[in-house]
Amino acid sequence: MSNRRLSVYLLVLLSLILAACTGGTATTAPEGASAPQPETTTAPESESATEPEAAPPSEPSVLRIGWLGKPDTLNPAYAFLTESYVIFDLVYGTLTTESIEGQYIGNLASEWSHSEDGLVWTFNLRDGVKWHDGSDFTADQMAWAINAVMNDPDGWAALSNYVSGFSEVKAVDPQTLQITLEAPIGNMDYRLSFLFAVYPKDFESFSTPEDLQNFSNDAIIGTGAFKMNTFDKDKGVLILDANPDFYLGAPKVDQLIFQTFDNADAMVQALKVGDVDMVNEVPSSAFETVKGFEDVKAVQQPGRYFAEMIINSVPDDHDPVPTRNPALKDPQVRLALATAMNKQDLVQIVLQDLGSPGTTLVPPTLGGGFWHNPIQDISFNLDQADQILEDAGYVMGSDGVRSKGDVRLEFRLQFPSDNPLYPRAADLLTDWYSQVGIKTTPESVDPDSLVAATTPTGDYDLVLWGWGPDPDPDFILSVMTSDQFVDGGWSDSGYMNPEYDQLYLDQQVAVDRDERQRIIWQMQEMVFNDRPYIILWYEDILQAYRTDRFTGFKESTLGIEISLSLTQVEPVK
Amino acid sequence: MNRRDYLLRKILFAALTLLVVITLNFFLFRVLPGDPVRSVVGRNVRISPETQATLRAQFGLDKPIFPDQFFATIGQWARGNLGISWSLRQPVSEVLIAKLGNTLLLLMLGQLLAIILGVSLGLFAGWKRRTAIDVGALAFSLVAWAMPTFWLGIILLAAGSSWFGLPTGGIVDPRNIGKPLLEVLPDLARHLTLPTLTLTILYLGEYMLIMRSSVLEVLGEDYILTAKAKGLSNWQVLRKHALKNAMLPIVTLIAINLGFTVSGAIYIETVFSYDGLGKLFQTALTKQDLPLLQGAFLLLAVSVIIANMLADILYTYLDPRIRAT
Repeated sequence: MSNRRLSVYLLVLLSLILAACTGGTATTAPEGASAPQPETTTAPESESATEPEAAPPSEPSVLRIGWLGKPDTLNPAYAFLTESYVIFDLVYGTLTTESIEGQYIGNLASEWSHSEDGLVWTFNLRDGVKWHDGSDFTADQMAWAINAVMNDPDGWAALSNYVSGFSEVKAVDPQTLQITLEAPIGNMDYRLSFLFAVYPKDFESFSTPEDLQNFSNDAIIGTGAFKMNTFDKDKGVLILDANPDFYLGAPKVDQLIFQTFDNADAMVQALKVGDVDMVNEVPSSAFETVKGFEDVKAVQQPGRYFAEMIINSVPDDHDPVPTRNPALKDPQVRLALATAMNKQDLVQIVLQDLGSPGTTLVPPTLGGGFWHNPIQDISFNLDQADQILEDAGYVMGSDGVRSKGDVRLEFRLQFPSDNPLYPRAADLLTDWYSQVGIKTTPESVDPDSLVAATTPTGDYDLVLWGWGPDPDPDFILSVMTSDQFVDGGWSDSGYMNPEYDQLYLDQQVAVDRDERQRIIWQMQEMVFNDRPYIILWYEDILQAYRTDRFTGFKESTLGIEISLSLTQVEPVK
Repeated sequence: MNRRDYLLRKILFAALTLLVVITLNFFLFRVLPGDPVRSVVGRNVRISPETQATLRAQFGLDKPIFPDQFFATIGQWARGNLGISWSLRQPVSEVLIAKLGNTLLLLMLGQLLAIILGVSLGLFAGWKRRTAIDVGALAFSLVAWAMPTFWLGIILLAAGSSWFGLPTGGIVDPRNIGKPLLEVLPDLARHLTLPTLTLTILYLGEYMLIMRSSVLEVLGEDYILTAKAKGLSNWQVLRKHALKNAMLPIVTLIAINLGFTVSGAIYIETVFSYDGLGKLFQTALTKQDLPLLQGAFLLLAVSVIIANMLADILYTYLDPRIRAT
């Protein structure tokens, strides 16, 4: 009996294995109605794809890059992940680009100018630019690419913000492009660095936003330094070949292979044994280890991510009415919260020195140099914090918590559960605050619930959270504007200051860079003094590469994986 | 009741179960906190509230969950269309099929090795009870069973890649992608070695322990004594009398484990960057990609229900007691 049953089970087992080997056709879910797409797409091979030279003296040089993500899509209309933009930077061209020094320089545009009123911008395009299929790049095509975004903002969801306020884009001649605006735009050069010159033929045929967004663009054609060889999204492999005709000079490596790792430790091990030549994101916990690897250089550069403590700043008359401890409205309490915070310790203990203390909303590394460096941070002083609260009339109670009338200095200190840094920071803060008579209760909260609790409900006291701002300060400044404190908006502090809102609008139309900087500095001062946020730290970016294989990486705050760096990388001789 | 009626009843019951599961899942995923649009686009700086609203309308999330969203989904499925993944922008059925093969390959291989080795080891340990072999095998199995998956995977990955030059992740080398299967077979085998080994070690302990105790139990039975008294050799006693009876609990265990197979092995797939279903389920959940999530759970439900149904049907052939009812 048992023998028969066993053999039946073994038979089932065998059939399942067979099913596995034949690609699992045995247990398929109902087939979708849409046409199946090929798993792997190879870009059309116009000319020698793997060998840029006629007779290469040695094997082609292949730079293997390990990373923890992969592009969500290669279609810029619907690409949201950073990884997609890394690839766009290598494959596509834009009129301008951010330089390693953080200034905007010409890319497809050789030079540009604007009319006195800032409404008409004229771009001279670079000579001799060719698409990856060998055809010439013209101003008409660049105009088509920008017009496509303007005409279908719903379809081009990921890029539509960059063209708001554009009224007309046209080619004056094959080498000259003209953009007319409704009102002056202060960060034009930054906006243009995200408007990719997509190949018109690839994008012409879509009639609805959905059609456009469902297009995977796996055979992406651009004008950039590298061209598409293979993108296998399932296997997490993306291969790019050098573009020998690149207008700024052919890259010195023949091929780039991006390989996705689902596990950071495995990726670090791959770097150690030489399975990959560089990684663009070393986990902070492994950075010390990576520093010790033979023939590996660990790169630490100031980055753009920062963490902040949000203080509930929602006005009392807001609808819905905020739920919070009213003491948080008192500027002296806010000052005490800032004074009893040791940012040096936070960086040293929580970040293990892989960052720097934070001061203002605009990190020093943002493009264009808009960081407000003269701002003097409040120095850590527990006695002084104690005194501030004492002077403000908060009396120490027998349980060590200060109070004024029936308002006790007792706050919720919440943070999203998906970040390992915040719990330690919350513990340190709670300890410092307890020494000056403030009781904070750390609480880990699911990030989605935290979004719901902050915007636009305003049901919180203090929250630890972070941002990865855009290269241009416009976005991170918008986080503090009144109109963003709505469902789906980006304000979580509920800070509402009409003066700030006006300055925000002013900097948007300030075409003069110095004028814009002056406004942005003023805005940073406001946020610093009103303290809807107390910026805790700026995080460093951590990367690494093998020095025995390749040389020439350009280390900067933009990372070693940008086009300006990878085109300079060459094999070690 | 004749067999035809019995089968019909089983199939009907399976279909009903499926319908309940589908309905339950539909509402379950919509009770999840958070906004799918935000999850799909991430905390992305470039998306204005207006664009989010457009996407929400496109996904059909602006309509009431019941009846609009519910009947739209059911109607779509009835036409054999699982929809398009919000985060991947690929048809859900394609995504699932692409991963299913990989997962089955890894898990079946690992299970098969674990079963063969675990059962043999357990049999041997039980037979050689209280010898050094038994103690050694027992200790090994207990340790193997208790080891955290993630930890073991990382240790094997570090050791395998440092000492034996085995790959650190993926299914094949990036340069072999798109080549015919036969050509990449050696490379595939190299990539499968470490994850399979991890899986085998983890399951081996369980099979060994169950088998050993089962053998010990059986060896104490009277019919074993009788067999020995009849003058059968040790090997004959073991093979003809002990093994068959001792296998029963193992068969149950195999059946249970096979049921879990389709859900993948999230930890192992994550450590070895192995492109399988387990990893996909996790991504779908964190991204709140409802079409993908629903499709994945439909696949799971269908597999389990079909497996159960097959088992029910097979039992009518195997077990006289079931046939009698």
